[in-house]
Amino acid sequence: MAGRGKLIAVIGDEDTCTGFLLGGIGELNKNRKPNFLVVEKDTSITEIEETFKSFLVRNDIGIILINQFIAEMIRHAIDGHLESIPAVLEIPSKEHPYDASKDSILRRAKGMFSAEDFR
Amino acid sequence: MTYFWSADIQQGQLTKKGTSKSLQSSTEETSLLLDEQLLQYMDQLESLQEKRSALNTLIEQGWFSLSKARYSMGNKQVSSLQYASEMEPQIFVQARAVENDALEFCTERITIQSPTERVQNTTSVEDIGPKEEGVRRRIKASKDMAEPEELVGASTENPSPTSTKPPSGSHRNNSDQNPQADPLKWFGILVPQTLKQAQSSFRQGRVLQLSKRLVPLTILLPVQRQSVLLSNVQMIALYNYIHK
Repeated sequence: MAGRGKLIAVIGDEDTCTGFLLGGIGELNKNRKPNFLVVEKDTSITEIEETFKSFLVRNDIGIILINQFIAEMIRHAIDGHLESIPAVLEIPSKEHPYDASKDSILRRAKGMFSAEDFR
Repeated sequence: MTYFWSADIQQGQLTKKGTSKSLQSSTEETSLLLDEQLLQYMDQLESLQEKRSALNTLIEQGWFSLSKARYSMGNKQVSSLQYASEMEPQIFVQARAVENDALEFCTERITIQSPTERVQNTTSVEDIGPKEEGVRRRIKASKDMAEPEELVGASTENPSPTSTKPPSGSHRNNSDQNPQADPLKWFGILVPQTLKQAQSSFRQGRVLQLSKRLVPLTILLPVQRQSVLLSNVQMIALYNYIHK
């Protein structure tokens, strides 16, 4: 167990989580803590943020997949994460198509030629 | 005196010429570096866009199959309520640093054997045991008190395996209910083909392979942008210095 790789965590709606869990990424560790969060209508933003932060501090997670509309809710937390690992990857959701202009990585990468970037 | 003056001026001109030459060459080098980094950056951006769109398409296919499965199985049959109480990951990500501070991610897949496969892989003696024990249990349940001799007879027929059978039998019963082997089994034994399709579109390494390729790009892009910006700043500073 010590030499094994890192996990992929998911924060998403039911279909996204079900799909990725079907793919075999799900884990419930010894403390019964899952590496996924199913966001439903009644899930609070605080809960999402806390789960996201708990994933960030876990050493056994390498990639966090998050639906873009959920990432929008906790944008400040995602923008505050500057480390390479765990890498945060925004994916589309069933009801919200992917919007590249909202992606935190692309927002960091774009705007290379404007005067503001040289400040 | 005049001679020295002129010599000084000449020397000054020479040093200025030398400096401007070296500055010119460094400007060329920097501009080449800038061009190279810019092209590399654009390539990475393009490849990121391609992979992103491929990933999105695959995920959409998966959702479509899930919705079809939900339609045929019932709304509550494909939901988070069906998740197993025990899960074991089958896919891991290995991150390793490569040159230029870049990270390379690779996924490794662990195939967890299903309980039946596990039993098949064990020795033949252990295979026989649980079957016999099952028969004996039925007899025990029906004729426990009435015919104890039959029970003894059964145990004397196979004396050696019986001692080890009860734990192996119980293990098999437990492992049959083990949901870790295949997440598809959380949703039932006879699941529709569409759910299998959904699993394959999310599983196959395709989505995960894509995401693992996307991640280094997403990490690399801001870094590369930073380096391009730095070379740009360097270039401007050099240009200003020369044309002062």
